Amino acid sequence: MAPTADQLALVKGTLDVLVLKALSWGSMHGFEITTWLEDNSGGTLEVDDSALYHALHRMEERGLIAADWGVTENNRRARYYSVTSAGRSHLRTETTRWLRYSQMVSGILTAAARTT
Amino acid sequence: MLPSRARHFFRLAIRRPALTEQDVDAEIAFHLEARAAQLIARGMSPDAAAAEAWRRFGDVEMARHTLTSSATRRETRMQLREILGNVGQDLRYAARGMRKNPGFTAAVVLTLALGTGANATMFGVVDRLLLQPPAHLRAPNEVNRVYLTANGDNFGMSIGTNQSYRRYQDLRTHVRTASYVAASYETELVFGTGEAAREESVGLVSASFWPMFGVQPALGRFFTDAEDQLPQGTAVAVIGYGYWQSHFGGARDVLGKPIRIGRSDYTIIGVTPPGFSGIALRSVAAFLPITAGGADIFTEIGVDDRWRESYRVGWLQTLVRRKPNVSVEVAAADFTNAYRLSLETQRPTEPPGRVPRADSLRARAELASVIQDRGPRRSQEATVAVWLVGVSLLVLLMACANVANLLVARAIRRRREIAVRLAVGVSRGRLLAQLLSESTLLAIVGGAVGVLVAQWGGGILRAVLLPDVDWTSTVLDLRVVAVTVFLAIVAGLLTGLAPMRQLSRADVVSDLRTGGRGVSLRGSRLRRGLLVLQGAISVVLLVGAGLFVRSFHNVRSLDLGFQPEHVLLAELSARGAPIDSARRIELMERLRERALTVPGVQHAAHTLTIPFSLEWNQYLVVPGIDTASLRDLFYINPVGPDYFETMGTPLVRGRGITDADRVGSQPVAILSQAAVKRIWPSEDPLGKCVKLQADGPCHVVVGIVGDIRVEFNEGPGRHVYVAATQVPAPDSRIFVRTRNEAATQAEVVRRALQEVVPGAAYVSTRPLDGIVAPEMRSWRLGATMFTIFGLLALVVAAIGLYSVVAYDVSQRTRELGVRVALGASAGAVLRLVVSEGVRVVALGLALGAIVALAFARKVGPMLYDVSAKDPLTYAGVVGVLLVVAVVASLAPAVRAARVDPNVALRAD
Repeated sequence: MAPTADQLALVKGTLDVLVLKALSWGSMHGFEITTWLEDNSGGTLEVDDSALYHALHRMEERGLIAADWGVTENNRRARYYSVTSAGRSHLRTETTRWLRYSQMVSGILTAAARTT
Repeated sequence: MLPSRARHFFRLAIRRPALTEQDVDAEIAFHLEARAAQLIARGMSPDAAAAEAWRRFGDVEMARHTLTSSATRRETRMQLREILGNVGQDLRYAARGMRKNPGFTAAVVLTLALGTGANATMFGVVDRLLLQPPAHLRAPNEVNRVYLTANGDNFGMSIGTNQSYRRYQDLRTHVRTASYVAASYETELVFGTGEAAREESVGLVSASFWPMFGVQPALGRFFTDAEDQLPQGTAVAVIGYGYWQSHFGGARDVLGKPIRIGRSDYTIIGVTPPGFSGIALRSVAAFLPITAGGADIFTEIGVDDRWRESYRVGWLQTLVRRKPNVSVEVAAADFTNAYRLSLETQRPTEPPGRVPRADSLRARAELASVIQDRGPRRSQEATVAVWLVGVSLLVLLMACANVANLLVARAIRRRREIAVRLAVGVSRGRLLAQLLSESTLLAIVGGAVGVLVAQWGGGILRAVLLPDVDWTSTVLDLRVVAVTVFLAIVAGLLTGLAPMRQLSRADVVSDLRTGGRGVSLRGSRLRRGLLVLQGAISVVLLVGAGLFVRSFHNVRSLDLGFQPEHVLLAELSARGAPIDSARRIELMERLRERALTVPGVQHAAHTLTIPFSLEWNQYLVVPGIDTASLRDLFYINPVGPDYFETMGTPLVRGRGITDADRVGSQPVAILSQAAVKRIWPSEDPLGKCVKLQADGPCHVVVGIVGDIRVEFNEGPGRHVYVAATQVPAPDSRIFVRTRNEAATQAEVVRRALQEVVPGAAYVSTRPLDGIVAPEMRSWRLGATMFTIFGLLALVVAAIGLYSVVAYDVSQRTRELGVRVALGASAGAVLRLVVSEGVRVVALGLALGAIVALAFARKVGPMLYDVSAKDPLTYAGVVGVLLVVAVVASLAPAVRAARVDPNVALRAD
């Protein structure tokens, strides 16, 4: 889905770490994760739902998150995801890397223009 | 209101079945609904919200597809992990259980080890004899052995595996459906000269043998047709790989070297690949062309050159490789035709009337398997081996029955534990899987030990059963191991089934209440049934053992009329040294004199024939008696002085041959008692005379000796002994009598005799026992093997009976306590328990006896002088088993009698 002018496309590979961050706040089902990401990005992030589910299943296969069926407040059956200890450490390393990377890029980009 | 997080973790205890596709659909559906609800909350209409939710999601179909497949994959992996986890858990649990009950484990493992080991051993033997085709034979299915049959009065041939060289040539000429026709002969010849001379096994083969086999030499080449032409081929030899290694150290320069075989020198032109021994079972040291080696063999025996021309000298085995896509039937018809043509060619070469027309002879060719023991000339050993396979399968069955019994008993003991586990929620499937893994683990351990048993037992069995066969493959052949593993698994499954049946009907509630102590008639019936089976098998095996032991005893205690254990046979092989017949006679006498100087030697004498091995028989002509009434064959033997003392045959009347009996003096004869009875049943034979030919001299009867046996399946032979000096014999040999056992003196005597013979000649000595004993081999074998297996079965059955009775007693402690409290004596309790045990066994005995009788007809021909329905044997076996039953029941019975009624009544 093409992003609108106000929305940013996701850099490849960052969806995983964002989902992990979301789940570190607690177990959520797929729609809750989407909503959380949209809310916490101030509306600038619009998640591609099918991509989200792909990512969720992929991470489940890798053992970063665990899934099980649960029941919502409305007594509806939903699939809840939670982060595993492997997922937590992956989140920590990725977060550090991302912050360093963005720091480096911002540092270069915000450097004063060369004064000749 | 619980925090939503907590409520999200409601887990279901029941393991849900895999509904992966539905799961994925449900998840996506939920998401779409939630999105739609959110949009509606923001003011959209329901329809628009639904459409927007679908749009927002992306490619729903593809998502469903990909997510389903990845979910299925994950699900399968999880299931696999769970199954493996279960199996691992089961095995660990089973192993723990095994360690905790070492006695039980040992009993089971040992029983199964013996069962599987026995089978693996027998399989190894049968594999070698009946299943494995000759090594290095290309496409064995295309190769056959040729057997020619003809039945005729004067013709004298019966099932012929031994064909003459002329016959082989004729077949080769006339046959159309063969790629190759070859001939083969195995024998022993002396290799080397002087001190180092040794007899080795030799194969004489036609040049076509090599391409027929399709084998490549390890070194050098094989001989060609050009080197295998009459009259005496080319003196080339192909040596065996084993011989090459042991005698030439595997040196590559062996080609072109000379090797002395028999009476000639041969040039080595090649080496066979390892394991190759032609169609022989024993390893072969060298292969020679038929035409070259033939000269060596036949010069000794006096057939001289006739072997090249005569149809009557039968010695070869003909082999054929059929053309591709030619069936055995078509080829056999072709060979039959060729055989008849050959007979037509034969007729003009013989006196008229000696060769009847082919049709009246019912001449035909039969093509049989290249494995000799699968054809019409199956050896005794092969027949016995097949029987033994059946026997060892029976023993395995018994072992399984016993182990099943033990396992069932244990399962019954654990009823309470099992009831608890079922109540807690373990599925029956899991429980059954766990039991199965227990029994399989036991079976595998048993099988592993069984391989060791096979290794050890196999070595012994081979030495006993087939000492001549070449066993280059070790006992731990891969096929044998595979068979053992297979048997172990089958045993595990079989024995695991019994307790499983128990549990599939376990009544949880009642078991919990009674603490697993209730009397279960179901289990009892199964266990009793197994015991009856064991009893029956024991009877069959022990009856077999009894019959064979009696046969063997009869054979051994047979008075042969001479003592083979004290007699050595010494033979002279000229091997090209120039020895004419006069010199030969002188040499033999020198040998005899030399033998007498060896310490430990008591007597030595010349002889022509060898009991059980070489005989000269013909009709006699007796003056005054109508030849028509004397149509019985007599055994003739030209012997020297001291013959009867050497053999240990008693002289009944008159005298033996002496030095006085020479060329020119009155021809004499000594008859055996059976001969006398046949010719002059009611007259005094001394002074009368007999003739060997109608126009020959009349030999005066000067003595009567005891009978000797020369065949096991006939009565005592009718012997006529004449003087070797007075009846020219083509050959002669010496018997040497030793004080101690002849076998121990063989080499000593041989070396002493070797000293007096010239140059290339070779003396061989063999104990006479070694010639006679193989005839007894099959009975000895049957006796040994059946006894071993019978005792094995007996031990297994006894253990089984003991365990059943012991368990019964432990179950009935309460009841027995009541009986004792009510005044029953110890003796009464004993009688009660023992009679129970005996009753179960009795049924098994009856069944077993019936089965044994049913097989009586098949076993009959293999016995000696004892009926297959011999009542004494049957009675003996039944008696022994009853005694064993009583003894096995006695221990638990005694324990039962000592039960303290107070304790019993109070026990839970």
